[in-house]
Amino acid sequence: MAALQKQSVLGKDVGFERIRRITGYLVGTMDKWNDAKKAEERDRVKHM
Amino acid sequence: MIQSIVKRDGRVVLYDESKIARAILKALEAANEGDASEAARVANKASKQLGLMFKDESPTIEQIQDVVERSLMETGHDEAAKKYILYRANRTRIREARTSLMKAIDEIVNVDARESNMKRDNANIDGNGSMGAMLQMGASAAKAYNNMYLLTPEQSEAYSQGDIHIHDFDFYALTETCCQIDLIKLFHGGFSTGHGFLREPQSIASYAALAAIAIQANQNDQHGGQGIPNFDYALAEGVAKSFARTYTRKLREALEDYFDTDDESELTEKAIAEAGKPGLGDVKETFDGIVADELVKSGRIDREHAYHLVSRSRQRAEKQVDRDTYQAMEGFIHNLNTMHSRAGAQTPFSSINYGTDTSPEGRMVMWNTMKALDAGLGHGETAIFPIHIFKVKEGVNYNPGDPNYDLFKYSMEVSARRLFPNYVFEDAPFNLQYYKPGHPETEVATMGCRTRVMGNVYDPTQEIAYGRGNLSFTSINLPRLAILAKGDEKAFYESLDKMMDLVARQLMDRYHIQAAKHVYNYPFLMGQGVWLDSDKLGPNDEVGEVLKHGSLSIGFIGLAETLVALYGHHHGEGKEYWDKGYAIIKHMRDFADKKAAETHMNYGILATPAEGLSGRFTRMDQKRFGKIPGVTDREYYTNSFHIPVWFPIKAYEKIQLEAPFHALCNAGHITYVELDGDTANNVEAFESVIRCMHDAGVGYGSVNHPVDRDPVCGYVGVIGDVCPRCGRRNGEPISPEKLAELRKKYPSVPKFCGCQ
Repeated sequence: MAALQKQSVLGKDVGFERIRRITGYLVGTMDKWNDAKKAEERDRVKHM
Repeated sequence: MIQSIVKRDGRVVLYDESKIARAILKALEAANEGDASEAARVANKASKQLGLMFKDESPTIEQIQDVVERSLMETGHDEAAKKYILYRANRTRIREARTSLMKAIDEIVNVDARESNMKRDNANIDGNGSMGAMLQMGASAAKAYNNMYLLTPEQSEAYSQGDIHIHDFDFYALTETCCQIDLIKLFHGGFSTGHGFLREPQSIASYAALAAIAIQANQNDQHGGQGIPNFDYALAEGVAKSFARTYTRKLREALEDYFDTDDESELTEKAIAEAGKPGLGDVKETFDGIVADELVKSGRIDREHAYHLVSRSRQRAEKQVDRDTYQAMEGFIHNLNTMHSRAGAQTPFSSINYGTDTSPEGRMVMWNTMKALDAGLGHGETAIFPIHIFKVKEGVNYNPGDPNYDLFKYSMEVSARRLFPNYVFEDAPFNLQYYKPGHPETEVATMGCRTRVMGNVYDPTQEIAYGRGNLSFTSINLPRLAILAKGDEKAFYESLDKMMDLVARQLMDRYHIQAAKHVYNYPFLMGQGVWLDSDKLGPNDEVGEVLKHGSLSIGFIGLAETLVALYGHHHGEGKEYWDKGYAIIKHMRDFADKKAAETHMNYGILATPAEGLSGRFTRMDQKRFGKIPGVTDREYYTNSFHIPVWFPIKAYEKIQLEAPFHALCNAGHITYVELDGDTANNVEAFESVIRCMHDAGVGYGSVNHPVDRDPVCGYVGVIGDVCPRCGRRNGEPISPEKLAELRKKYPSVPKFCGCQ
């Protein structure tokens, strides 16, 4: 019984928040970004 | 002879010559070329022609109108034909606008924002909520109207074809972009937001609350962002007032304890009055000494105890005010992230500038603002608003030994974790020229997005940041001009000149619409005197004159792609290409300066902060020209003069290459550097980037790095595929037991309820 109750139940379908800067201000999740800015973020490389 | 016709909606109806005659008569009368009998004659000719062309078939409306046009011309009625053609074109425009408006509303209502690129035009609006949807519907209708009635055909064509982009086009008939709100001026004597008067605030808590209200109120009068240029100076006044009260209260309470009485306010006030107003900057021994001496004079307490009491009261007061200030800043930040008061659909775009107030009160404000920023929101989330801008100034905060150097260092620690503050460099020559020590209004402040309004061609005695902002901006599709020039540099510059001319005139046209508005159209921005010199106007006055303090900005996008199209390489790939790129933007700046001198209006060049625009132009150019390598083969154009995000380059070099463009783009500019999480959290590395920006003459800069958060276990940091704290993957569930385990080790693990 106890084993049945020990299920993984919290956080299903909950994604990670990825805060990124878009044209100067931050947006919490990228699903609100338009397609062009999403593509740009994908392409960003790091500067050492 | 034709019997029937096909209407636009597909219905087949009887042919009626008299209808054609009526339309022809209208055209003839408009051109003064004939009367009813002439109209009948032409109509008859048209009918005969139709009969010959179509025999037994049914022509469409378009086909009939073609024949009517020809008949008018063939019977010598050229003017009438012109009138007829124009009328027909206008009807078509109106019909198409109505159709596309209805289509846009349909998409707003029915399509999930995740599928609709249009609904995600502005990352800060929830396009799926009802207020957001209503806002977008209103915007669509406004755009249709504005396009029809407020743009010249040339401007309309340039806009719809994608040669230019008129930003915030939905607000064309209504207002301006943004403003830097001088809180000190606003708060003195109190203010009104339209429903009742708010007295001048008397504590740091009310200062912070009213600051949020001021931003919200001003946001309702403008379509862009709201900035506070003097956040530290303004809220310092709140700290000062709070300290004076708290010192008094703490001393009174200490005396009541000491004497075991109920009310020692009389003694307290008398004693303090001798010394003056208590302040954080007091020479403690002197001030407290005077107060203590007064207490001793009462005969109820000896010298040793009096001094001790007063000194301890001061200490407690300092700690209390510090706590109060932290609470106030925390509340302020929470407020700005949660109030959906811009058309009910988004939080105001807010920015705060600070860094140069060296008073103890100002420093207390800044410490606590940054501490609250570092702490984040309720579950440790990074606060998206306001944008924090730290004003870097040699002699004030930049070098060891400077009074606010500790704040500068702390700001970089915080920025490495929370992406803010960004940095404005007062020592960049184009900023330094305005700076007068002791006059914070001469310190360049910026809107978070990058808008900068400082020089003032209209009124050179007021080259200040306070109470000014941008009137409107329009961006030029530079890559397209380069593509069309087909490698011919001269042709490119000629087309650029033409386009800049068009944009300059369009910005002026828009200004004239804005100028005809009255103070009562801006209950807060003008009614409360927030905009520079609006306090000299009455409610019914037109605002045209004072608006001239604002900027008219010519923007651009995609310098990198422009250079590839013209010369085969972008400006990160060699000095000769960089020189070409610099020449283009310099040419634009020279044009803006010339226009400013001619018109005494604040024309400037803007490194457009493109959001929706970055895809719009590219999509259209891809359709028209196909995928040109290095130009239109991505889904976006590079922002302004930036080195392309995908181009491998060292931070130092990127900064050197971009800095000179800051000087040219006087209406606004920014440089970003992308670091990985590890480098970002290395304070020395972070500081070296900022110092490099300073030395290179950057005006406004910021460091980007990944800031991820797992809402389930509360981890904040870099997350790849797997959360380093709880081990779950994106979208994976986790057991409550595991979470409870983690909470023992990491107290910041939230009580997760699953309802994000």
